[in-house]
Amino acid sequence: MAGALTATPAGRPKRLGGWLGGWGQLGLAITVLAVAIALLGPALSPFDPLAPSGRRLLPPSSDHWLGLDALGRDVLSRLITGTQISIAVGLAATLMAFALGAGLGLLACAVGGPLAWLFLGAMDLLRTLPSILLALVLVAAIGTGTGPVTFALGLAFAPVFARVARAGYLREMGSGYVTAARGLGASRVRLVLVHAAPNLVGPLLTQAAIILPRVITKEAVLSFFGVGAAPEAPTWGRLIAEGTRFVERAPHLVLAPVLALAVVTLGLSLLGDATRRRLDPNRVAG
Amino acid sequence: MSRAGRIGGAALRQIILLLGITIAVFVLLRVVPGDAVDVMASEGDITVAQEDLLRRTLGLDIGWPGQLLAWGADALGGDLGTSLRYGQPVSDMVWAALPVTLGLAAAGLAIGLGLGVALALLAMLRPGLAALVDALNVWSIVMPTFCVGLAGILVFSVWLGWLPSLGHGLVPAVIIGLDIGGQIAKPLMEDLRETAEARFVTALRSRGVRRRALVWRHLLPNSLTAVLPLAGLIVAGLVGGTLTMEVLFGLPGLGALLLDAILGRDYPVVQAAVLVLSAAVIAANLATEAMQRALDPRVR
Repeated sequence: MAGALTATPAGRPKRLGGWLGGWGQLGLAITVLAVAIALLGPALSPFDPLAPSGRRLLPPSSDHWLGLDALGRDVLSRLITGTQISIAVGLAATLMAFALGAGLGLLACAVGGPLAWLFLGAMDLLRTLPSILLALVLVAAIGTGTGPVTFALGLAFAPVFARVARAGYLREMGSGYVTAARGLGASRVRLVLVHAAPNLVGPLLTQAAIILPRVITKEAVLSFFGVGAAPEAPTWGRLIAEGTRFVERAPHLVLAPVLALAVVTLGLSLLGDATRRRLDPNRVAG
Repeated sequence: MSRAGRIGGAALRQIILLLGITIAVFVLLRVVPGDAVDVMASEGDITVAQEDLLRRTLGLDIGWPGQLLAWGADALGGDLGTSLRYGQPVSDMVWAALPVTLGLAAAGLAIGLGLGVALALLAMLRPGLAALVDALNVWSIVMPTFCVGLAGILVFSVWLGWLPSLGHGLVPAVIIGLDIGGQIAKPLMEDLRETAEARFVTALRSRGVRRRALVWRHLLPNSLTAVLPLAGLIVAGLVGGTLTMEVLFGLPGLGALLLDAILGRDYPVVQAAVLVLSAAVIAANLATEAMQRALDPRVR
């Protein structure tokens, strides 16, 4: 564990594996596996995730690798569908937060004026609130279901990207090449979009890699709370919530989705952290 | 700008944020179709005439601007309204839930700060312990408190049978504490090591200042300024973690109150819970800002 955050291999490795480092490679492997499961989804599911069979709360067996839940549904099939929902909602919400926060944030920087200042100020202040509180309030207002939850999480995480965009903008504006471009008569919009924006891609992508596992966790928490995707959808959070009612008789019902969530967030976080160490311009080494 | 002016400006911004959130939540909750009466109707037999009467008595029949003005006037007088579902004064419900949330958050913060500072100090004195600090740091980055909480329920209550998984505050406080401790231990350790090499420390040492005094009076206060910029993140994580842990472990705090109110569309309770929670975050942020100014002369 020790070297995970400090190891900064010297030199300039040519392959992706070396670029990521050991823990980053593990993260990449887990991520690829999770995405593959999500993409293949139904093809991998041995049973219908929604169809009950006669037996209930069956422990893992050779037919049903992860057993059956309280209504006799195959847990493995439900877990696979849950993986699909988690990855899809996570990616969509992160993309939305990125587009909203970074896109509007950069636009506001480019345009300037009181309205842009107000937007950036509001984003900066909203960032101080816990994302789960923001997401809960938004879900309370716009309702539950996969779409609204994606939207709520996208909005809740947008301020983080707006801050990165703004901080990057301020940093780039103070650099020599921007002064030179300004001296050549480049407009403010051109300065931001043509000169500064390409240099913000690294920090913003890093932020997206860090945010993605957090979005997936928050989606699971919202589902667990009963305000996530549609009630019948077998999301990880929903599986956990259903499982906790039978935790004494059938702990595997909780254990399976918790492990799935933990392993996937672990993989994505390791990958995100490896990306941060390599792409963060504020760090000299690495 | 003067020092008082700057603090005033920060406070003003935060108050505007609080007002903005309050109004936004109020409007958002009311422009969406479906209210508390609809939820009650879906749960029991209520005739349409009864529904209309209920809406009139609950004040849901006028538009949201009127409701907002009425609520705002009452809230300024300390009256947060009446729960639509339970008929209790909302302020009573908030007062009953507040100690649970504050207790859990305070315990989590205390454990986190204690653990983080202790580990960082030990790792400075015994470099071998740096691995432990790194491990805890990785832990807090990759392990969501939600997962750890569920694992805690499984391990402690199901397999070990130590404590009732519901209604117990110690395990969630430790989980929150581990998360916070992992976040601060590493930057604190790195700064402590760096500060230990500083020339003023050599000077103090050559003057014969004892090691204990050196660490507690000179090194630690200096290095705390390295951790203070993290305070905003820690506060947000603390409040978010407390909300999650309350629901997970069945603790009747503000988070549980908020979730129950959201599920039941109990607007006044949602409104009050969001108001109190965001006010707490804002107060904590202002306090750390003030602390930063007190500890770090460069910020003054």
